[in-house]
Amino acid sequence: MRADATQADRNAAVRSAARSWHKAGAIDEATLAAIEKTVPYDRVRVGPVFRVLLFCFTVFAANAFFGFLWLLFFQHVGSEQTEQTALAVAAMVYGAALVLLTEFQIGTLKRSQGGTEAATSFVALGALIAGLAWWVPDQPVSEMAALVFVISAVVLFGAAWRWGYPIYAGLAAAALLGAVACLPFGRVLWIVLPLLAAPLLLRLADSERLPPAHRDSCNAVLIVGLVGLYVAVHYGSFEISLVEDIGAFTWRSGPASSSDLLRWLSAAATALVPAVLLAIAVRTRRYPFLIVGLGTAVASLITLRYYVHLAPLWAVLTVSGIALVAAVLALRRYLDSGPDKERAGFTAEPLFEDLARQRLLEIGATVAALSPEAKTIREEPRFSGGGGEFGGGGSTAEF
Amino acid sequence: MAVSVNPDVADAIPKLVEDGILPPQLAPRLLRVARGELVSVHGELRALLYAGVLMITGGVGVLVKENLDRIGPAVIAVALGLAAAAVFAWVVRVAPPFSWREVPSPNLAFDYMLLLGVLLAAADLAYIEVKLTPLGANWPWHLLVVSLLTGLAAFRFDSRVVFSLALSTFAAWRGVAVSHLGTGIWSGEANAVRWNGIACGVLFVVLGLALKKGGRKAHFEPVAVHLGWLLILAGLASGLGESGRWAIYAAGLLVCGVALAVGAYRYRRFPLFAFGVIGGYAALSRMIVAIGDVEVLGCFWFFFTALLLIFGLIAAQRRMREPL
Repeated sequence: MRADATQADRNAAVRSAARSWHKAGAIDEATLAAIEKTVPYDRVRVGPVFRVLLFCFTVFAANAFFGFLWLLFFQHVGSEQTEQTALAVAAMVYGAALVLLTEFQIGTLKRSQGGTEAATSFVALGALIAGLAWWVPDQPVSEMAALVFVISAVVLFGAAWRWGYPIYAGLAAAALLGAVACLPFGRVLWIVLPLLAAPLLLRLADSERLPPAHRDSCNAVLIVGLVGLYVAVHYGSFEISLVEDIGAFTWRSGPASSSDLLRWLSAAATALVPAVLLAIAVRTRRYPFLIVGLGTAVASLITLRYYVHLAPLWAVLTVSGIALVAAVLALRRYLDSGPDKERAGFTAEPLFEDLARQRLLEIGATVAALSPEAKTIREEPRFSGGGGEFGGGGSTAEF
Repeated sequence: MAVSVNPDVADAIPKLVEDGILPPQLAPRLLRVARGELVSVHGELRALLYAGVLMITGGVGVLVKENLDRIGPAVIAVALGLAAAAVFAWVVRVAPPFSWREVPSPNLAFDYMLLLGVLLAAADLAYIEVKLTPLGANWPWHLLVVSLLTGLAAFRFDSRVVFSLALSTFAAWRGVAVSHLGTGIWSGEANAVRWNGIACGVLFVVLGLALKKGGRKAHFEPVAVHLGWLLILAGLASGLGESGRWAIYAAGLLVCGVALAVGAYRYRRFPLFAFGVIGGYAALSRMIVAIGDVEVLGCFWFFFTALLLIFGLIAAQRRMREPL
């Protein structure tokens, strides 16, 4: 990241914390204003709605411009091969131009979280990766896939480092896992690499030397790595050779190994990994471990239900739901009963969090998932000719 | 839960106290949060409670569907009714007194238990209607009954989540599946459904405005108005694919979209502004695409207009000043 962008990112973190203190009523308007004056911020930012709108329309405009140029100047330039080569070159040149445009916005225009610079960086990366991938020489599919994964990982890591977008870091880590899956012992590497990288990533995620965007990037890489580790040890993934299939770019049925020992180890690890992750989350109070621990716990329970029919589905769902609600209420009571409503550094009280956003998500999820099926409205058919059909006089074929 | 340890904030707090900006008594707690020594799991507990409610209602749904003949309708109906009554009894016991203003939840579980009670009661009513058919051919009216009861519960216990469920159930009574909005499920469907959707949308918007103007549960207004405008715009947009009458729908969508964007701009309603801009742009683009030569003209149109829109949006956000 540029030096000025790094400083702005650090100041943005402080201002953001101050706004959350203000929202929670911890500080008044005057204190917030004083903090914002003390910690200046020179970036051009927009709110979340405008950010999404600007991002979408910029992606739209950038792709349409490329399509327009292509149709106007490059289409039908020669044989199909020549046209494809021209398309790859055009994509790379266009991607490079958009990289410069992103730099201009972040550097000269001082835009950050403004929607447009994220959009141009996004289209730039897509164009660069697609353009570079075209030059990968013809060879077995898995080797070509490995090279494309490596190219993607390098480009995305570069973008995350330069522009400070954690999502690019996470995608780069996923691409790296894809590349590793193409190597011999890919599954083992999916387990070993996250284990080796985790301590370093944790240290970097706390480092004062890194700006907040890079610290978040380290957390994103850690989350992807932990998910990769879980997939590698997961019983279902072992049974269908998921990692090997990703590496070979094929879809074959059958287990990754015929060894019963490995199968049992995989089953044990499917149960143990979420428990270990949650234990680390409780001990270290780290968000990546908590989020992946909860997600993998749910996945392991679903896996258990898939392979072992302990009870009918309705019983599993209802009992699990009741148990979950009871566990949450018990946990809440336990945390509340501690001194200052805390236990081991955890509290169930909201601490400067944006609860309005969570309530909005709940309303959206309720409308999307819990709305009843609509009644069927039958419209009187308009006369269209074409001979007689069944169904006149209001009768239907259902009787 | 804190996303991560925040050394920049931890560094800034002592300096802000030294400069006399931050009250010293606040610093220890803020520092603990910034250093990751104190972490709130409030959001995670809420999410888990919500997931628990979904699992219970999902399990009840499967139970009713799969064990209908084995258990018998009377047992299922009574069991569901008892479960709903038990949940409502708890809700009534802990609920704060009624007020037309916003009422804080008495505890973390309150909103979710209310939602569970409403869903169980709705499942019971639906089940009784399917098995015992008290309404006969007029069975869809049970959706109206559920919608009104859900709405009553939402007002009494001050729950926006339950209010949104009441509105979507009302739309379902009119044949409109709100959960399928935006998935293209409306395209090519009966004209009656489309107009029902638009009419529901208008009703919701009017309801929302009335609540706000009357100062009664005014905080429900955004739920009703946003859902209402979504229904209106989606209803009009679903007509853009009609072979003969698309131009009428496009014109309607353009007028509504522009009017909404202008109104939202004036009153600083950011999501509504986005709805209006997207609706108007979709309508205008549909008209241009109809002219012909979709490839070159389309690319030029989408590039040029999107660019214009970007500059327009940047100018608009400078005046509207959306909170960060």
